[in-house]
Amino acid sequence: MVNEKYNLKNEIETVREDCLKPTRRWGRSTRIWIGCLLIVISWGLYCYIHQLRAGLGVTAMRNYVSWGLYISTFVFFIGISHSGTLVSAILRITKQEWRRPITRSAELLTWVSLLFGGIMPIIDLGRPDRIANLVIFGRIQSPLMWDIISICTYFVGSSVFLFLPMIPDMALCRDRLSVCDTRFKKFRKWLYTKMAIGWKGTKSQWHRLEKSMTIMTIIIIPVAVSVHTVVSYIFAMTLRPGWNSTVFGPYFVAGALYSGSAGVILGMAAFRKLYHLEKYITPRHFDLMGRLVLALTLIYAYLNLNEYWIPAYKMATAEGHLLRDLFSGSYSTVFWTLQFGTVLLPIIILSIPKGRRPLMLAITCIIIVAGAWVKRYIIVVPTLLHPFMPIQEVPNDWSSYFPNYVEFSITAACLAGIFLVITLFSKLFPMMAVWEVEEGILIEHDKQAAIELRLKREAEEAKTNGEHSGTGTEPIVQPT
Amino acid sequence: MKINSIIRKTSFTIAITGLFCGISAAQDQLQSQSKSEATIELSYYKKADMSKTAVAVVKTKDKEGKFVFAKNTRVNFYVMHDKEQQLLKNTNTDYKGQALIVFQKDLPLDDSLYFTIVAKIENDNLYEDAQEQVHYKDVNLGINLNPQDTARLVTAKVTEIGKDGKGIPVKGAEVKFCVQRLFGIMPASDDNTVTTDEKGEASFAFPKNIPGDTAGVITVAARMEDNEQFGNVENKANASWGIALVKEKNPFPRALWEPYAPVPLILTVSILFGGVWCVYFFIFFQLRKIKKEGQITINNSTL
Amino acid sequence: MEKDNLENQPNRRNFLKIGLIAGGSIAAGTFAISKILTQDKKTESGIKKTVFTQDGKVFTADQSHLHDYEAPPVSNEEARKGIPNKKFVMVIDEAKCDGCKKCTDACQAMHYTESDREWIKVFKMQDANATAPYFFPKPCFHCDNPPCTKVCPVNATFKRQDGIVLIDNERCIGCRSCMVACPYSTRFFNWSHPKEQPGLADIAYSPERSIPRRMGTVEKCDFCPDMIRQGKMPACVSSCPMDAIYFGDQNEDAVTNGSGVTVKFSQLIEDNAGYRHLEELGTDPRVYYLPPKNRKYPKPDMDAVGKEKNEKKPMDMGDMQMSK
Repeated sequence: MVNEKYNLKNEIETVREDCLKPTRRWGRSTRIWIGCLLIVISWGLYCYIHQLRAGLGVTAMRNYVSWGLYISTFVFFIGISHSGTLVSAILRITKQEWRRPITRSAELLTWVSLLFGGIMPIIDLGRPDRIANLVIFGRIQSPLMWDIISICTYFVGSSVFLFLPMIPDMALCRDRLSVCDTRFKKFRKWLYTKMAIGWKGTKSQWHRLEKSMTIMTIIIIPVAVSVHTVVSYIFAMTLRPGWNSTVFGPYFVAGALYSGSAGVILGMAAFRKLYHLEKYITPRHFDLMGRLVLALTLIYAYLNLNEYWIPAYKMATAEGHLLRDLFSGSYSTVFWTLQFGTVLLPIIILSIPKGRRPLMLAITCIIIVAGAWVKRYIIVVPTLLHPFMPIQEVPNDWSSYFPNYVEFSITAACLAGIFLVITLFSKLFPMMAVWEVEEGILIEHDKQAAIELRLKREAEEAKTNGEHSGTGTEPIVQPT
Repeated sequence: MKINSIIRKTSFTIAITGLFCGISAAQDQLQSQSKSEATIELSYYKKADMSKTAVAVVKTKDKEGKFVFAKNTRVNFYVMHDKEQQLLKNTNTDYKGQALIVFQKDLPLDDSLYFTIVAKIENDNLYEDAQEQVHYKDVNLGINLNPQDTARLVTAKVTEIGKDGKGIPVKGAEVKFCVQRLFGIMPASDDNTVTTDEKGEASFAFPKNIPGDTAGVITVAARMEDNEQFGNVENKANASWGIALVKEKNPFPRALWEPYAPVPLILTVSILFGGVWCVYFFIFFQLRKIKKEGQITINNSTL
Repeated sequence: MEKDNLENQPNRRNFLKIGLIAGGSIAAGTFAISKILTQDKKTESGIKKTVFTQDGKVFTADQSHLHDYEAPPVSNEEARKGIPNKKFVMVIDEAKCDGCKKCTDACQAMHYTESDREWIKVFKMQDANATAPYFFPKPCFHCDNPPCTKVCPVNATFKRQDGIVLIDNERCIGCRSCMVACPYSTRFFNWSHPKEQPGLADIAYSPERSIPRRMGTVEKCDFCPDMIRQGKMPACVSSCPMDAIYFGDQNEDAVTNGSGVTVKFSQLIEDNAGYRHLEELGTDPRVYYLPPKNRKYPKPDMDAVGKEKNEKKPMDMGDMQMSK
């Protein structure tokens, strides 16, 4: 028994060390990575300043395609932000034990993509200097206003949801700081102390934390669903062909969940590789997440089918023009590649167990995430190029659209920003929820101990029974 | 030597002069070739406020033979006074080819009490000379009605102004009865033309169904259009014969497109998101409690 | 001594040269600077004028300081409320339209708009292969159930009690929700700095005039409310040579065309089977169309319709100025 206890303590200690090690090192590759990200961000910032001074005319958007890459990317980022809700909240509620190593990275991905997703519409505004008008003169009948309210609510919610499980880990970091050598010790001391908000691990504190987390888990799910639903409303509340659809809300939520969970897998794979967390994020995790993504892709494929097959059957005038362009016109290559390459192909790959191995799954998820981004573009732009009134006798640059270097630069800068925040976070804070993993180990141990105890007792009973009766039924003993 | 130089100089001078003459002649010819034909339509109006105006509309044909308005063309207005043309005013036409002149003083009349107005285009760079004239008598168009009359009867009296200023009733003049609308004058009904009798009077019963303002008042107009003797003459009067406009009780009701939202929407959004934020505040409260309990533990441990 | 003089002479000459140049340039510089500084300060004429401000305050100023605006704009509140007891409506007769685009030219001249921005645009339409082609001038429809006004998050586009939908470019944040919501492609966005034009700077901004335009905001046909307040009809109506466009007050049941011919609105629609474009969208437009039956002018050549704009000569801006 003493040996077991020692083993358990060792195990927990290893977990802690493994989780905290990455926060101490600041290697060369990290510095190069951050340097590259900063270069991309500063170039994007320069382009944005150029856009502020010269107006949105420096992009390729014109009067027909008045929403382009920025809004598509906004929808995409908000979609990715459903990752944390799904993995963290839904798996918590359904008491899936295997979620433990991946909740932190999922919640982080949610928080960061919401942050940058919320910035995209501001970048897209013609007069960002008048943003206060939204508060002073806001109209609650506008889908954009619902967007703002729900994204802010979700952002606060996901910040809380990220922060709550970090509290015990912050206490751990704070307590361990003196015994290891890291950079920025003073700053870290201050940061960890502040963020640990006086955590001592007392019973009442744990009780409050668990209660808060349960409440947040429950409330964050409808908030997340509402966010992507209202994002879909900025399109669905218009009369345009392709957007005038009743299924847009569920369609967008399903798309968000499917691309978000793929994003989680990419995060999982990256941190597993970079921070040597192979012991905790096992191929079993990839297999289970792969099944989850499969289920979500199937739901998404179903809604996708509805979204296109129903208007295609009817070919009403305005929708007909749009669908012809998508199915056999200028967007046909992209459209069919998306449907077969990023929806059907992942379904096939994920259905076979080999497709859910870490490397294969990661590649499939890259396809899914990239496909989701292009799909958002396909939702936004072709509809704008097929208005009810014919496009006649207008300047060249109005009747077609492809994003130019300004839009790509600024979007790349936002993406780099996401990577940068995630990298900095992972250098400051442990990327696995240490206490949750420990809890898991304890539960596992307790379970094992309970099973062994039960088997022992059954064996003893069998012995005594056998002595007394002689014959009796052989108890079924399960080998450990 | 000297003679040679004189001959040279003279021939040179002659050549230069000839060249200049030739060039100017060519220019003249070019100018006269490039002038196009313009037509003037001249109309005369006597309004309800007794003001007299003449409007000249200048049109020209474009390359495709379609009539277009001639903008910015100088039109000179003359009146005939003792068989001579007196220049009154010159104005430029606007974008619709219209040049307008308002007569301040009484127009000079000839023996038969007619006045003549002439509109001319003279010495214009783009257009050939053109002119148009009109020749009318002065007339009074009286309008008589009872604003509260339920029969809605209006009588117009046409009297021409005689030699000694006396009014002579005009028989057989066509009077059209109209109603003033926001941007123009509308015929009151399909058969709104009445010819004056021996007394120079024309009566008309206004239809019932004409919308008026909020008090039910309409402006009744009687006009003579393109009369041979008198031109365009008009007079107006107000009458309470219109259907009163019902004022909108609330021009800005609550609606999705108005500044104020429908109440169900406000309630739904407030309850849904308000509820979520209440939960958030509860969580913040829990966090505060965690912090406080942490401090108590420190205090306890130090004791 | 002589040597001295000879040596000093070139020095003196140089000194004089330099002195003259320096003195001249200083004088010129001072003159230039003084000109620049006093450029704004016009010489006072000595004539004092009493002026009322928009909120009823009185002040006197020298005439030289007063700027002659083309027409006083109404206050923002008045512009948002509109003209009471009126409901403006427009009727366009497709049988009379010959596609000359004089309406577009007049509107662009009046609003100092660039030629690619057609607030009223003349389309060449043919609803199906076997149906009649027709010219279709399309202004903003000023819908009674406006999709654009519903989605504006800051109430920068609003519907007035007289039916007109306007845009307040001092409040617009440039989100372009209204542009994607409008099913009739009526709205335009100022993507870059608006072009400087003579005369434009003299105009005070009001939503009723929609000019001067602001970068990063939306603009569209506004039914010329500033002209309506002066008793004139919108520029497109009065400039149509075919008198194809009628405009009036639906409460009065009368519409007037460019030549002043006024007809009963309900009669006009009934007699000519008037209809509204894309009625099934439910936006409730305020512009009615009369079908192209017994058309006066040749139909459009549908084969020659291109997506790209033909080269157009810029309109002479001096034509359509509002009379002072």
